[in-house]
Amino acid sequence: MRALGWLLAVALTLVAGAASAHPHVWITASSELLYAEDGSITGVRHAWTFDDMFSAYAVQGLEAKKKGAYTREELGPLAQTNVESLKEYAYFTFAKADGKKERFGEPVDYYLDYKDSVLTLHFTLPLKTPLKPKQLMLEVFDRSFFIDFQMAKENPVKLVGAPTGCQMKLDRPSDGSATAQKLNEQTFTDGPNANFGMMFANKITVDCP
Amino acid sequence: MKPHRSPLGRGLLACAAVLLALGLADAAIHHVFAQNPFGAPKQAPAAEPGASGLIGWLLAKQSEFYRQMSSTIRAAKSDGSAVWTLLFISFAYGIFHAAGPGHGKAVIASYLVANRETLRRGIALSFASALMQSLVAILIVGISAWILNATARTMCKAEGAIEIASYGLIALFGLRLVWVKGRTFIRALQATQPVPAMAGVPHDHHDDGHHHHDAHDDHHHNDHHGHDHGHAHHHHGHDHVHDEHCGHTHGPTPSELAGPGGWRRGFAAILTVGIRPCSGAILVLVFALAQGLFWAGIAATFLMGLGTAITVATIAVVAVSAKDIAGRLSASRAGGGALFMRGIEFAAAALVLLFGAGLLLGYVAAERTTCF
Repeated sequence: MRALGWLLAVALTLVAGAASAHPHVWITASSELLYAEDGSITGVRHAWTFDDMFSAYAVQGLEAKKKGAYTREELGPLAQTNVESLKEYAYFTFAKADGKKERFGEPVDYYLDYKDSVLTLHFTLPLKTPLKPKQLMLEVFDRSFFIDFQMAKENPVKLVGAPTGCQMKLDRPSDGSATAQKLNEQTFTDGPNANFGMMFANKITVDCP
Repeated sequence: MKPHRSPLGRGLLACAAVLLALGLADAAIHHVFAQNPFGAPKQAPAAEPGASGLIGWLLAKQSEFYRQMSSTIRAAKSDGSAVWTLLFISFAYGIFHAAGPGHGKAVIASYLVANRETLRRGIALSFASALMQSLVAILIVGISAWILNATARTMCKAEGAIEIASYGLIALFGLRLVWVKGRTFIRALQATQPVPAMAGVPHDHHDDGHHHHDAHDDHHHNDHHGHDHGHAHHHHGHDHVHDEHCGHTHGPTPSELAGPGGWRRGFAAILTVGIRPCSGAILVLVFALAQGLFWAGIAATFLMGLGTAITVATIAVVAVSAKDIAGRLSASRAGGGALFMRGIEFAAAALVLLFGAGLLLGYVAAERTTCF
């Protein structure tokens, strides 16, 4: 009898399962790490290009002088909305300086452009306090995996004004890196809040002497 | 007890075999697709890394189909035959999308288990709720984007509001089920207490005298379980005497379940699950609208719904059959069998409530709409 109960529990768990989603939005990202003259990191400048389906969705209902072409000004309010709502998701950008979590302030210099029917969101995230760590780790991902972030094929990460000798390394999620391989189905089924978006993180590591 | 144990044992063996087969299939699928991830690994890198096994495969598949939709809609603008491809992709996406874990199926399956529904009604409920989901998506986009020319932001907020409302509905629905099933369960608990005044109350005791008693009662037992069965399969058509002690007294009679009143209750399940549209369908519809092919988006949405319905119906069939098997196996036990089944129903009802509350409070992460 107990075994039967167990069986039903298994059946129900299979049905209910973990929370799951597949991405609905794809972002091709390229990021620049900004350095001050004294060699400290001041922030990150992102350029996120959305997929064509989401781009069409995002510009739905927006007025444009020329049909199918949106100027930076016409997209201004949308860019504003974007960065404001991104706050709730911590801008999908997570920084660690020598293993310690660092916070970002409000984004600046944000705008959208529309080219070849896709939108690109540009914005700069200033670090709350500029840092000069030995190692900086930056992760870009959506833990709910509603958005799939992929770093651009060409020039995914640029160090702007970094001191000489700094080494940048990018771990793409599709690299099948050690951590990604360790995660298996268990990650999906473990608990209702399985953060499997984690394994899709793009990890940028900068080591400075 | 010997004759009782063997069917139970056989059943458990069968169940173990099924589970083993599932496990093997999962491993096999994983093995096959690990070699060559879907032929085009660059096309679907999203769910590929580290996502192993059946769930990983499902995620990768639906991702792949979903991504193909936008290019197919674009192609359909100049090439009419691409519409057929779009319809096929939508259908396949629906099947895979629903096969992944999600709360809609969980609610339907739990509801079916809690309510002693028939297979036929389980399938009907699955199709009706999927159809409603499609209609809601089409209505949202049709009214807000096409007629009102609302912005994505507005639409997304509307979607978010509907999402919260649907979670609230699930919780309410679960609360009602728990109330009804909880009372039945408690009555079943009371019914199994040995009450001296009631001769012939089926209960399981250890002395030999009761075995004799049990044998005499066999007819009664079968009747009682036939009754239980009658709920699940009307076509059995057992003519039986309603057993006052089985805890059914105030529960729904088979005619209530299958009659128009039953459909009214079924409608609550359809509404609860179907009111929340799939974000994917909304994106596809808006995209199709932007391409001037709104009708293709509508067709795609219905095909997605059909695919979803097939998968959800399959899960519903599994849930109802599992319960039937459990019911048949526990029938070999005396009074405890009825109690066990009422317990399962109560647990399923509680599950619906937990889902609703969990979704509402954010403990259960669902495919949440991200507005930005």
